[in-house]
Amino acid sequence: MSDSRQDPRFDRIVERAVESLRSTLRDGADPSLVTRSIFDIRRRDFLSAGALAISSALLAACDAHGPEGSKRLLRFAERKNEGIERWLLRHTSMDAPKAGWRAAGESFPRYYVAKTMPVWDPAARGPWSLAVDGMVERPLRLTLDDLLRMRQQRQRVEHFCVEGWTAVATFWGVPMTAIAKAAGARPDARYVDFASFDDDYHESWDLESATHPQTMIVYAKDGRFLSPGYGAPARLHSPVKLGYKNVKYLTRITFMRERNGGYWSDQGYEWYAGT
Amino acid sequence: MASRDDPVLRHDSSERNGALARTPRHHWVVRVTHWINALALTVMVGSGLRIFVAYPKFARQGESFCCWPAGGVHVPHWMRFGGWLAGARNWHFAAMWVLVVNGLVYLGFIYLHGEWRDLVPRRGWLRDAGEMLKFYLFARREHPEQGKHNALQRATYFVMPLAGALAVLTGLAIWKPVSLGALTALFGGYAWARWWHFMAMAALVILSAVHIFMVFAVDPYSLRSMTTGGYSERLSPESRNARPFYHLLPKWARRDRSHGARTSGGGTLPATAAEPGVGDRR
Repeated sequence: MSDSRQDPRFDRIVERAVESLRSTLRDGADPSLVTRSIFDIRRRDFLSAGALAISSALLAACDAHGPEGSKRLLRFAERKNEGIERWLLRHTSMDAPKAGWRAAGESFPRYYVAKTMPVWDPAARGPWSLAVDGMVERPLRLTLDDLLRMRQQRQRVEHFCVEGWTAVATFWGVPMTAIAKAAGARPDARYVDFASFDDDYHESWDLESATHPQTMIVYAKDGRFLSPGYGAPARLHSPVKLGYKNVKYLTRITFMRERNGGYWSDQGYEWYAGT
Repeated sequence: MASRDDPVLRHDSSERNGALARTPRHHWVVRVTHWINALALTVMVGSGLRIFVAYPKFARQGESFCCWPAGGVHVPHWMRFGGWLAGARNWHFAAMWVLVVNGLVYLGFIYLHGEWRDLVPRRGWLRDAGEMLKFYLFARREHPEQGKHNALQRATYFVMPLAGALAVLTGLAIWKPVSLGALTALFGGYAWARWWHFMAMAALVILSAVHIFMVFAVDPYSLRSMTTGGYSERLSPESRNARPFYHLLPKWARRDRSHGARTSGGGTLPATAAEPGVGDRR
């Protein structure tokens, strides 16, 4: 604004203001006229300055990430939100899609981060198995047959994607609580990491969400064993976390004292991502 | 603002008891919460639209949705804020607390301070609103006198907090569809809650757009009364008989249509004293 003094328009505005002040005072001074003429000028300046400010703000905001310095503030808000989300989480609140909602079936989108669809090749990598390790009494190495022999749970739930869509499906699998019990997860474990063979995709969870009754290691969907598009041979699934936390192509479950981020959460998506 | 050091304005405020006294139009709490709300709402709408772009429709996968184009809609880039989905979500989930806390401060204040009486619908609203419409459509010569806010403003300022409350509730419903499953079910499930969230946003945007247009079109002086609180009855839309687009009419049309009306700066001021009915309004 200091530059406005060099603007010839500014001089004209001042001249006009002084002139109208003089004339109105000379004419016997209804003070309202003074105010009015002054304010007319101020209003015009104010409006044009305001319009300029608004339009430049809009231009700056166009598809923008927002100010750099806001990152710490957003991190702070995310941590506070996580506190609220953890406080809201109840093992008794379950997801229950209405009976009339149609199952997504093959319309259920398929996602992976590798360049090509990850398929476990036993010839190259040996037989698939799921390792359960970390802070456990009995580290496990579970084959698909082992999983099938464990407690089976069937549930029809809605899958919540971070993008805003949902999909209804029926899943068959082993509840995470049964896995934790079988491995003897130590009581001081606070987090669980789920790793995959979809490149380096992994996501870590808080123990409370990982042991929600609807959190499962899934091997079948809609009456069939998982196809490679849906995370074969086994995937993590729970309605209590957004889709990207539900790791597909599982290879390893690790109980931990500290969280270790995740594929998307390291890139800026919320780590907690609860529903 | 420099007005404190301005001898002319100081002279004016020393005339506080005179006919030209500038009474504070809005309490400072209302003014502060208004601008915080304007900023928070802008961030919420921009980031919300960026989030919406990731899936610009409402149907559950494998289903159709009655009330939205099946192919989704395009959101122009200039309306989006947050850069990418994660950034927009982070902004959305941070600014939501500013919006909620600020909104509660405002509502709590107008409740305790009595300003809510200026905003709730009252008897004769329909008639008053009709008179305002007639005036704006040039079917009535003089600006109706309806108090601090006219009937159309009252409706807007009453509906906006309601739309805001709907946006907050539906927002909670789609943020926590399992933890707050009962709330989500109340709106008809996630997809419908998301639709209602979008519609609440649309209502807020439309009302805000009309509000901003009317500020510039009929009452630019309200920018000052919403900033410093300063207000002069002489410059009210009632005194100036201000209609939107009125100042765009040729001068002869303005003179003929309504006496003493003048919306933009010019050489002369309305000869207030000569006009019957203007002086005895307050």
